[in-house]
Order: sequence, then structure tokens, then C-alpha cells
Amino acid sequence: MDSILKIEHVSKTYTGHKALDDVSIEIPRGSIYGLLGPNGAGKTTLIRVVNRMTIPDCGNVLFEGRPITADDIYQIGYMPEERGLYKKMKVGEQAVFFARLRGMSKSDATARLHEWFSRLNIEDWWEKKVEDLSKGMAQKVQFIATVVHEPKLLIFDEPFSGFDPINQDLLKNEILGLRDRGATVIFSTHNMESVEEICDDITLINKSQNILSGPVEEIRRKAGGNTFMVVYSGQTSDFINAINGKATLIGQAEGLIGGYTQQKIHIADNADVRPVIGALNDSVMLRSFQEIIPSMNDIFIRAVGGTL
Amino acid sequence: MNRIGLIVQREFTERARKKSFIITTLLTPLLMIALMAAPSLMMVLGKSDTKKIAVVDDTDAQFVGKALVSGETIEFQLLAPGTTLSQARSQFNDSDKAFGVLVIGKDIVDNPSDMQLILNDASSITIEESIQNQIQNIIRTARLSRYNIENMDQILADANVRVGIQTLKNTPQSDDEGSMEETSSVVSWIFGLILGMMLYFILIVYGQQVLQSVIDEKQTRVLDVMVTSCTPFELMMGKILGIALVAALQIVIWAVLVIGASMFVMPLLFGADSAVAASSAELGAIIGMVTNVKFVSGLFLELFLFIVGGFLFYASMYAAIGSAVDTPQDASQFNTIIMMPIVLAIIVMMNIMNDPNSGLVFWCSIIPFTSPVVMMARIPFGVPTWEVAVSLAVLYLSFLAMTWVASRIFRVGVFMHGKKPTWKDLGAWIKMK
Repeated sequence: MDSILKIEHVSKTYTGHKALDDVSIEIPRGSIYGLLGPNGAGKTTLIRVVNRMTIPDCGNVLFEGRPITADDIYQIGYMPEERGLYKKMKVGEQAVFFARLRGMSKSDATARLHEWFSRLNIEDWWEKKVEDLSKGMAQKVQFIATVVHEPKLLIFDEPFSGFDPINQDLLKNEILGLRDRGATVIFSTHNMESVEEICDDITLINKSQNILSGPVEEIRRKAGGNTFMVVYSGQTSDFINAINGKATLIGQAEGLIGGYTQQKIHIADNADVRPVIGALNDSVMLRSFQEIIPSMNDIFIRAVGGTL
Repeated sequence: MNRIGLIVQREFTERARKKSFIITTLLTPLLMIALMAAPSLMMVLGKSDTKKIAVVDDTDAQFVGKALVSGETIEFQLLAPGTTLSQARSQFNDSDKAFGVLVIGKDIVDNPSDMQLILNDASSITIEESIQNQIQNIIRTARLSRYNIENMDQILADANVRVGIQTLKNTPQSDDEGSMEETSSVVSWIFGLILGMMLYFILIVYGQQVLQSVIDEKQTRVLDVMVTSCTPFELMMGKILGIALVAALQIVIWAVLVIGASMFVMPLLFGADSAVAASSAELGAIIGMVTNVKFVSGLFLELFLFIVGGFLFYASMYAAIGSAVDTPQDASQFNTIIMMPIVLAIIVMMNIMNDPNSGLVFWCSIIPFTSPVVMMARIPFGVPTWEVAVSLAVLYLSFLAMTWVASRIFRVGVFMHGKKPTWKDLGAWIKMK
């Protein structure tokens, strides 16, 4: 796998408290990578290790295949969870300051920032002072300041917190757009819906450990464990006979409007679904046959609770 | 532009544009001018208040009372011979009629303590001293005249001399024709003292700003973004230099305003003669020396380098403290410790006049904690160039080292919130990789 960032066996202990315990993660280039976990699990510490703000007790961080150096930091755009801007500065001036700090020329930065400002509909804020902005407005400015120099790797800590649904959507599309233009995005969040929508891969950290990693689709499928929802009309006894030996029932059958019945079944791992469908098709009238893929929310709760 | 330059520019413009900066920059000179004008004003206002003293003189022919000279502050009223103390007291019994009654005993010449001052009002040291001096002179003259020496007055006038020493600096370039630079230890000392004090105040005022600026960086949470955009060293250096520039700008504006005001406004306010009123010999010499272009320009570069270096070094210490704490309140325990060397430096500076080249003074002018203040006071006495060079080198290197230490503490301290660091912690943070 072509990975932009590789975290190998990283541990970090603060006084009397282990923030990261032997965490390893590999982040594929050009992906959107979700870093999930309950509060206090160690996500922010991990991000700070990547940013070289915190030095791990042991373990390595490899950026593009070699140990990360101080200069690599400028290839990373980081939007921290606790947003901070200089309050007394004007919005435009501040954005230009950060862009130049990360190596852009003044004219380049100004031109590119005006583009971004108009794309996010905040062009008329340029001359406003940061202290006059609302929280959501300041977040937009911070987002632009994070991405304007087009870093290879973007790290967003809870990017959607504080945004209304319309702006969340706007931001989501911008993040997808950044990935499509070649950036790799790491984002840490509790918002599982957004994970399903935009993450390609995730890692779930709980109690300082990596407890689950992989592509989102694969994780959801695995967590589903070959469970299917069947909707049919016909005799329940015929249904049970048909799947006998091939699948097991989960829970009770439910009656649906129009005489249909709905029943969850489980097919043994690695078993083929076709014989089941064939047998059912012969004995009842099949209306639908659909794999149940658990939501990331379910997976999150089950994984953290230890029942996955 | 490099990153330090950008941070300097940001710190500078943000501060220089603040309303509070503009207000203090314009108001402080007004206050300073008011302070400068206050003594002259007090002199002008104080003139009308002449104290009347009734004099009961029992000496022969009242020769003491007659010799007393009324001046701006005291007016003597000699009472008729034979007036008793109780008569005088009942006549001049409240402060409207007289400030007090002076009783001069019959044998004052042989018994100089035979003299009383009975006051209706609170006493005044200047009045007591003025009366004592006058009577002392009268008695001295009276005693001398007992010896019946011819031409006594002329002899006395002749013996009353004032000595002035002309101190010259012996440099290889100088010749005996008088082109040697003129120096004066008193003047040098006062000149150095003023500069040392100036530096002290600059350190207190602007050093605190550096401290506050670093703490603000943490409180506004900008630092998470900043430390991923530049190194802590660049951040610290940018902040220190930015605030130094603000300080320089403010001081230049103040200097221009105060000098301008004292040249044009003060004479208009008080008339040209009041400026001359304060013309003691030393003050005149200082003014002469400070305005001596050759002397000042010779020292200017050195003094400038020490003021700047001293500020930068102390500012970097303030930055280190700001890095270690979360609130200005937490900074107080460290603050006292920063102040100690400055206070020590001032004490040493006071003693420079005794011996500008003693071991203590020498070392204090090399060690960076005290060198800016002490060396500044030493330079007007003439210090070998190599000493100045070594002192400057040590000072600037210490500044760089301290900024580095500050950035170490900043990087580690920042991400360990909520814990007030101990000195042991600080040591560990500096060593931490």
C-alpha cells in the first residue's frame, strides 16, 4: 500500500496516565481517514504526535516512508479541536499571515485566499476583526487557513463541531474536493454519520489502544456478520423449512403492511448466500433479500463496549 | 520573508495599532512634562508664602538681630530692645500674625545654643536650617573680629574658594594641548545612572509585555496552529523582537515629544529665567556633557548596543517564564527572581563612583544578568574596548541561549496544561528531546 503516513508502535505516557499504548496505524495516500474514539481515548495525543508537538515515549512516525522531520510539518495542515485565531487581527490579514508562515508568497496567498473566501461565501468578512465573528464563522476562517497552502496531509480535529447542517455539508464537500485533488485527510470525530459518508478508512481508538482499523466498508460488512433481512409473503413454516441447515433465525418475524413478513437471518460465516436464496425462492414469495450493514454508530458503541 | 520576520511584523503591527498603545504613547509625555514642570510650578506658587518671624534679641545693640537678612521665604521683624519673650508671645500668638518668635540669648556668641524658636505652626526644616546658617555665620564673624585682625573682611573673602577639578581622559590620540576628551566622574556617574535607570524601567514595562504575549498565545489557543507552522524558537524570537520594536518606536516618539515640548513649551510657560534657576554646577556640567555631541556620539553605539542587548536578554527570560505558566498570577514566583539581578545591578551601579574598576564591578559588567545596567554606568568613565566587546558578546550569546531555553520550555510546557511547574520540572523540560 502506498501510505503517506505510518505510525508504528507509538506509546506516550503522561504523569500517571497512559495516553497511547502501542498504537500502529497506516494511512493510505489520497484517502480520507477517520480517527474515532470516545473522549479521552488518545486521539488528540496521537494527532499531536504526528504533528511533532508531542514526542512519543517510543515508536516511530514515518512520513512518506521516512522518519518525520521538522520540515515535514509544513506539508501538514492542522486544524485543532480548540480553535484559535488572533482576536485583534482582521480576518483577511490573519489568513494571509498563516499562509505566508507556511511558505506562500504574499500575492499568491492573497489571491488564493480571496478564491476560498468567495467559495465559502465569506468574502465580505475580509476586513472584519476575528473577535467580531461568531464561533461558526471563525471556524470557516480557520478551515481556510488550514488548507490554503495545499498541504499533502490535512488533519482536522472535530471539523464539523460548531457548524449548522448547511455549513457541515459545505465543509464536507470541500474536504472531499481536497481529497480528489490529491490531499490525504485525517480527521478525528465523534460524528459517525460523517464517517460513513466520507471516510475511506478508519481507526478506532479506545483506552489508548487501537481496537479496530480498516476500510469502512469492510469493517461494516464484517461487523454485520452475514446477517440478512428477508421480506416475503407465504407460510412461516415453509420459510423455516427452507433455510433449515443453511441459516438461523434472529429474533421474531414481523408482519408488514400488505401481508408481508420480515425476518432477520444469519448465514454461517464464509457460507454462500445463493443456496439460501434459491431455497427461499422455491418455498415462499421473496420480496427482498438484503444484507444488514450496521451503522458506524452501532459499530462504535459495540466496539467500545467490547461486544463486536 | 522568513518566518521570524513575519512573526515580528505581526506582533509589531498588532501592538502598534492598538488604541491603548496610541493613547499611552501620547499621554505619557504629557505626564512627563507635567512632572518636569511641577518643581518650577511649585517654586512659582511657593514664592508668595513668606514666613514672618518676630525676633527678640537680647544681645548688645541687637547686633545679631540686625544682621539677619530677610529673604524670599523668611521675613524677620526685629522687636524693640527689652521686649520680653512673654510680651512677644502674646503679641504674636497666632499664625496670621507671625510664623513664630525667635529668641536670641544675651551670650549667644559664647554659648551658641542659647537660642529658641517658638512656633505657632508646624515646623519647617528649611526655615530652621536657614536661621541656623545665618546665625552661625554671624557668630563666626563676631568671634573672628574679636582677634582684631586687619583687613579681616578681605581675608575672609579671599579665603573663600571653590575648587573645580578638570578630569581628562588619557588616550593615545590625545595631546597635551587640550584636545583630550573631558570627563568628569560625577557627571559620568549621573549620566550612567540615568541610562541604567532607563533600562530598568524599559525592562519592567516591556518585559511584562513579552510575558503576557506568550501567555496570551496559550490562552487563545492559537499556539496549536502556530507550533505546527513554525518552530517554538522562531515564535519566541519573533515575539521578543516584535515587542522590542514596539518599545523602540514608543521611546523614540516619547523622546521627540518630550524634547520638543521642553524646548518650546516650557520656556513659554515659565519664562526663560526659570530654566536657569536650577543651574547648580553639576547639572550644568551634565547638560554640557549630554549635549557634547562628540562625547555622546562616541558612547552612543556602545550604549545603544547595551540597552538593546539588555532588553533582549531579559525579554527572553520573561518569555521563558511565560512559557512555563498558564496565568500571569502563576508567573509571580518567577518574576521576583528575575527582578533580583536587576536590583543587584542597580546597587552595584550606585557604588561604581567609588571605583569604576573594582573586581565586583568588573564581573558585574561581564555577567549578562547585570552587565547592561552596570556596564552602561561604567562606560562614561572609560572602559577598555576588549571589556566592552566581551561583555557585549556574552550578553548577546546569552540572549540567544535564553531564547532557546524559552522555546524548549514553551514546547514542553504548553502541552502539559494545568500543572504549575517546579524548578525541577523546568530543568527536565529543557533537557527533554
